[in-house]
Amino acid sequence: MADEIPAAARPPRFARKSTRQAVLIWCFLAPSLAIFLLYRLIPLVWNVVLSFSDWSPLKGMKWAGLDQYEDMIHDDVFWQALLNTLVFMASAPVAIVIALALALLVSADIRGRNVYRTIIFVSYPLMTVAVAIIWRWLFDERVGLINYVARSLHLVESPIPFLNSFFWALPSVIVANIWQMLGFYMIVLLTGLQAIPPNLYEAAAIDGANAWRRFKRITLPLLKPSLFLCIVIGMLNSFTSFDLVYVMTGGGPGRATELLVTYIYRLGFSQTRFDYAAAVTVVFFALLVSIAWMANRLSGGEAGAVERD
Amino acid sequence: MLRYPRWPIHAMLLAVSFLMLVPFYWVVKTSVTGENIFAYPPSVLPKSPHPFYYVDVWYYIPFARYFLNSVVVSALAVIANVVFNALAGYALTREFRAKRFVLLLFLSCMMVPFQATIIPAYLITGRLGLLDSYWGLALPQFSTIVCIFVFKASFDAVPRSLVDAARIDGLAEWRIVWKVMMPLAKGAIATNVILGFIWSWNNFLWPLIVTRSAEMQTLPLGLARFLSYQEDTTGALYAFCIMVLAPGILLFLLAQKEFIRGLASGATKG
Repeated sequence: MADEIPAAARPPRFARKSTRQAVLIWCFLAPSLAIFLLYRLIPLVWNVVLSFSDWSPLKGMKWAGLDQYEDMIHDDVFWQALLNTLVFMASAPVAIVIALALALLVSADIRGRNVYRTIIFVSYPLMTVAVAIIWRWLFDERVGLINYVARSLHLVESPIPFLNSFFWALPSVIVANIWQMLGFYMIVLLTGLQAIPPNLYEAAAIDGANAWRRFKRITLPLLKPSLFLCIVIGMLNSFTSFDLVYVMTGGGPGRATELLVTYIYRLGFSQTRFDYAAAVTVVFFALLVSIAWMANRLSGGEAGAVERD
Repeated sequence: MLRYPRWPIHAMLLAVSFLMLVPFYWVVKTSVTGENIFAYPPSVLPKSPHPFYYVDVWYYIPFARYFLNSVVVSALAVIANVVFNALAGYALTREFRAKRFVLLLFLSCMMVPFQATIIPAYLITGRLGLLDSYWGLALPQFSTIVCIFVFKASFDAVPRSLVDAARIDGLAEWRIVWKVMMPLAKGAIATNVILGFIWSWNNFLWPLIVTRSAEMQTLPLGLARFLSYQEDTTGALYAFCIMVLAPGILLFLLAQKEFIRGLASGATKG
């Protein structure tokens, strides 16, 4: 067929068709690109611009140089929020270790393992605001279940005001976060476990390797990609956490549970200091990118960039 | 198979399952109990259970309105997600100039978490005149990069010859997507619907920022607002909590396989 078309007629026709194709492809991409431009890239640039200026909705924009960043260095609340965020983030590996144990248990060849998997996973897709209210109630000082159990077992003399205590508030929120995330880590690790060929274990068992050695020499090395994936997701997820703290403690008592995101929200929307909030956001984002980059380097580039939101 | 005793595994898993389920039980118990919820020691079984707290929820707050708002916003987000992501995913299976650039752009956008954009996103939505509206609530969630790649992977698996055959038959490009690709990408569609729904249904930070009036609030906002108005002085708060959670849990139990696969792939597909 193609041979019958005069050679001279082909290039323009081809060009016309490929232009039409290209236009079509860009039309297909346009809606998504527009959304990402509007809600990802422009905000990123806008944040940087705002962070170098002196601005609020009712007055004009003035160049402020590094003033905002200088304020930040002297801002105790910022440092407190940063520290809290890092502590919050450091809880992810703890959750992952527990999840690894659970994944090993539910991958055993036992009856009803799907039921166990469902029960452990069900808290993950739930609305975090509702989860926060549930845990507020469990941690309640007067009639919370946790205090009730601790008092009944005579572990404590008087009830602990978990969410109103400077010491206990952050660990309490972390416990709630682990409870919600556990199932997710477990499923990711379980997927990794199921990809390990079972004959490896059989061969090792025949060679006389005990369970611990099989775990150390076969399971752990082959599970590395899944583990790193969990770590990256877990750290990014806790680094950007907001709902749980906002509802459970509102950042209090004092600033004991203030995280970077709750601080940014408070600065922007209750104190209308958009410019300073933008500066904190820039630092927040820079930290996030470096954490993701470091995790990616450590994992040998196996864990891709990941988002939950 | 390797031999090992089963009962210790069952014992440990039962203990863990107990710990995972107790919070739910405690809240359900509180929401139906007939005694003062601040009585100490709290009873382990609900005393003279009654549904009054659930009735209270209807009187205290516009539950139906919150629910409707959540449904509208989630529906907008899910529909836009499937259409836009499928189109973009299909475009990425084709060769075109600047494809590498577009891929790079998508991957770098993925690194920008929503929390890092709230201040300008609020200002932009304000300029668009969409504050306190359904469109403003749903717009940032209209397209998700993870899901674009889920679609791309699914479309890549469609045999090339099938697409060529459709093209020779004279099908227009958008009809190829609609008639050939989409029916073969059911898994990707399910993943996208579930992820889009979960993310938008549970979203709290963005509605907290864009809504002003009470009648535009979604369920999570209504819940947080109820907490801040009533404090936790009434069992109705926990009844409300259960009413919010129940549809989600039910949906999860019905489509468990799809949920687990979707949520896992939403995190793993880079």
